Amino acid sequence: MAMETVMRHAPRVIVGKPGTLRRLLGALGLVAAFAVPAMVHAEDAPRRPNIVIILGDDLGFADMGSFGGEIRTPNLDALANNGVRFTNFYTHASCSPTRSMLMSGVDTHVNGLGNMDEWTAPNQRGAVGYEGYLNRQVLTLPQLLKDAGYHTYMVGKWHLGKAPELIPAARGFERDFSLLDGAGSYWDMTNFTGASPKSVFTEDGRYLTKLPEDYYATKTYTDKLISFIDANHGDGKPFFAYVSHQAPHDPYHLPKEWRNRHVGAYDKGWDAVRQERLKRQIELGIQPPDTQLAERMWFVPDPIVLAPASRAILGKKMELYAGMVENMDFHVGRLIDHLKQIGEYENTIFIVFGDNGAEGTDLFKMIAGSPGSRDYLFAAINWSQTNPNAWGDPGSYVGYGPMWAQVSMTPFSQYKGWVAEGGIRNALIVSGPAVKRPKGSLNHGLMHVADIMPTLLEIAGADYPKTHEGRDAPKLIGKSWNPMLAGQTESPRTSEDYLAWEIFGNRAVRQGDWKLRWQYKSFGKGDWELFNLAADPAERKDLAAQHPDKLKQMLALWDRYAQANNVILPSRSAFETLEDQLPPRVPDDSGYPPMIYKRQFVPPADMVVDPRP
Amino acid sequence: MNNNGSPMKRFACLGATMMLGMAALLPPQAFAQVPGRFYWKTLSGGSAVPLVFESISGNTNPFDSAHTVNAGADLDATMALVGYAQTFTLLDRSAMAAIILPMGRISGDVTVAGNAYSQSVNGFGDPMLEFNLNLIGPPAQKNIPDALRYEPGFSVDLLADLALPIGEYDSSQPLNIGQNRWYGRLGAPVIWQLGDWVPGRRTTLEFLPAVWLFGDNDDYVGQTLETDPMFQLDAHLTRDFTERLWGSLDASWYSGGQATVNGVEGEELSNVGVGLTLGYAVNDNLNLTFGYKSTVNDSDPTDLRMDNFMITLVYGWHPLIEGSRRLKNE
Repeated sequence: MAMETVMRHAPRVIVGKPGTLRRLLGALGLVAAFAVPAMVHAEDAPRRPNIVIILGDDLGFADMGSFGGEIRTPNLDALANNGVRFTNFYTHASCSPTRSMLMSGVDTHVNGLGNMDEWTAPNQRGAVGYEGYLNRQVLTLPQLLKDAGYHTYMVGKWHLGKAPELIPAARGFERDFSLLDGAGSYWDMTNFTGASPKSVFTEDGRYLTKLPEDYYATKTYTDKLISFIDANHGDGKPFFAYVSHQAPHDPYHLPKEWRNRHVGAYDKGWDAVRQERLKRQIELGIQPPDTQLAERMWFVPDPIVLAPASRAILGKKMELYAGMVENMDFHVGRLIDHLKQIGEYENTIFIVFGDNGAEGTDLFKMIAGSPGSRDYLFAAINWSQTNPNAWGDPGSYVGYGPMWAQVSMTPFSQYKGWVAEGGIRNALIVSGPAVKRPKGSLNHGLMHVADIMPTLLEIAGADYPKTHEGRDAPKLIGKSWNPMLAGQTESPRTSEDYLAWEIFGNRAVRQGDWKLRWQYKSFGKGDWELFNLAADPAERKDLAAQHPDKLKQMLALWDRYAQANNVILPSRSAFETLEDQLPPRVPDDSGYPPMIYKRQFVPPADMVVDPRP
Repeated sequence: MNNNGSPMKRFACLGATMMLGMAALLPPQAFAQVPGRFYWKTLSGGSAVPLVFESISGNTNPFDSAHTVNAGADLDATMALVGYAQTFTLLDRSAMAAIILPMGRISGDVTVAGNAYSQSVNGFGDPMLEFNLNLIGPPAQKNIPDALRYEPGFSVDLLADLALPIGEYDSSQPLNIGQNRWYGRLGAPVIWQLGDWVPGRRTTLEFLPAVWLFGDNDDYVGQTLETDPMFQLDAHLTRDFTERLWGSLDASWYSGGQATVNGVEGEELSNVGVGLTLGYAVNDNLNLTFGYKSTVNDSDPTDLRMDNFMITLVYGWHPLIEGSRRLKNE
């Protein structure tokens, strides 16, 4: 991206009052931008804000304390209390598609992540938009911000391409310390399969042969970012930092001192914890008072039927997950403290969210395969620390399963990989100088991860170019949040605007309160379902038969979306045989079957006698 | 992409596996000198039957816990111990009660009060009652979740032993299987966990400081045998080699225990023994150890001289574990 292609404006959001003053300063900034080179941004007045995006990998909607979680996240909650929480924010259903839209503002079927690299279908191979990496046709947020005079830093997980022309340094990050893979050990370079046994890292555009001493992902990422910030601090340029934490993605690798902060707290089981979280969400105003929980996945048992040992061992998985989130929060706190120490906190916008629904699929089972297979052998050597006391150590692999993923996504249905609300809706916090709404407030506007690109370009005073490498630049699909953050509107979207998703063949459209959804059986019906999310955020009642006109209208939106974005439904899918692997789906009716809920009959005390001799 | 297709089945298997795993922790039971890991805690309500075989030679009667040295003696003994142990919870602490019965044979030449005896005796010895209560450390493992979460950290127990003088005894002979007197021990077993508590990686430093107290034997070859209290300190550095195989470096120090026969005082003990132990968990119920120990400062005729090969087999069980096994094999 050439410097000349970016039109820079004075930042909109630093100005306290909208209106004449803002326009005046904007105009002055525009003039200044054209009049002097980018290096004089130290003289910008007012100074543009720093931007920090904190992305939790597989972090659930309901995990942070400020969203109803019992997990202790004081630093993230402090950002929430200083900013705004958003309850209708959407990502994609899996990680790299979300990240691709965050980095490009362009639909996944255009930007290269029409499917996950790991699952590209035969009929998608070779098609533009399905490369499996963030393709070169798109412009990236860090590149545009860098061209607009920002320092651009990235730490953590990238998962948008490994080739030299695709790594963070090639996509606009001035400094980086990045895990290029989608996951891996938090302690070392061990990855998951015999074919790809080592995680690939880059630092400042070079591939690493080894990791630093005393490496632990969340800690090291934070250390690196602080060093990047400090290296350029004082030169007058603002920075954009993409803090793409690996945490709390499985495996739950965690320093010992973080593993035992919730011992026994989850033995009560997932249903009880979900109910507690929903209660707090209602108290916090995140959900309306009459909100129902989504049905427990039909293949997950009611925890009351489990033996204490099973509850303890399954609860321990959630204990570790909670530790992962708390450890991430701790390191976010370190970053915040540092920004305060160097006087940058007050001029920093924070955007915090999870990249998709919480992970309910057993990734390790997928990875390790069956005895006798190549990857099983690899797992036996590298990933077989299965004793619960080893959980968190190198070589251990713990994920918490569908039952706890549903807890993380309270009150929604399903989880990562699916386009049910539990797969795509996530918690969002925005704080800092861009936010003029009351501190600690909630907003229920319809938001999308692709909105971040236009929002931040606007804040940085940069325009999205019309052309890129001689062609029309791909169309941004997002809407700027700035009017809404300034309190001028309640949502970046009108009732006519819609959002749409497709991944692995599952697809959905949301417009206003309505949602159209198609998912593979048994998570879906293999047919279109229609939900009213205002009345039924847990997607319990399919209204397709009751509202044929609405169904037709939403289907038309889907067709429009698919055509506009070159959606190629996959000929093969990760979920194509799922129905055969799962028990037949039955409704989750509370209290059924009575057999497992009826307790010992106790006769009236005055009728109890010993047998006659 | 799999989605945890049948979690009920998985949970059931997991639960059974975890419960069965607990049986491996049932400790071996033995007599006065015990291998490392003897005082590791396990699930309350468990039972164990230990079988101990020892082949011992030296200048002291191995059936006599006072280890009274008989200068110039050259004794060989084969000793077997069988017992029964029960773990339980007392005041929320781990506790264990056991009874151990020694038996075997001993032969050799002994000199007492100037009289030389050449003997070979066999039979049952004095049964010993043992009680152990954890004082410092994690609470009792009252259920499987407790057992799953157990790590000893730094644990200190109270140990009490009492031998009942009902073993076979011939007052005309100095060498006997039974000791014809009350005796016992008060001790404080210490387990110090070093590093992770993960099978295959567990390391402990263990100590057993104890004081042995002896009553008088008023009919010791027609004379009176008195023995002063004896201080014992056992130490073990144990380490897992695999999840089932472990080893330890062992050391013992005995001090005091001066024996007096009709007013004639003998030597006080001040001896050190060192040894090695290998342990192996054969299956969820059966533990096996092999050990060798020998005194090191034993060149003087009045020094304690003893070397000891020991094999222990401990079969442990718990109703929950056995029931789960039956269901698992259904």
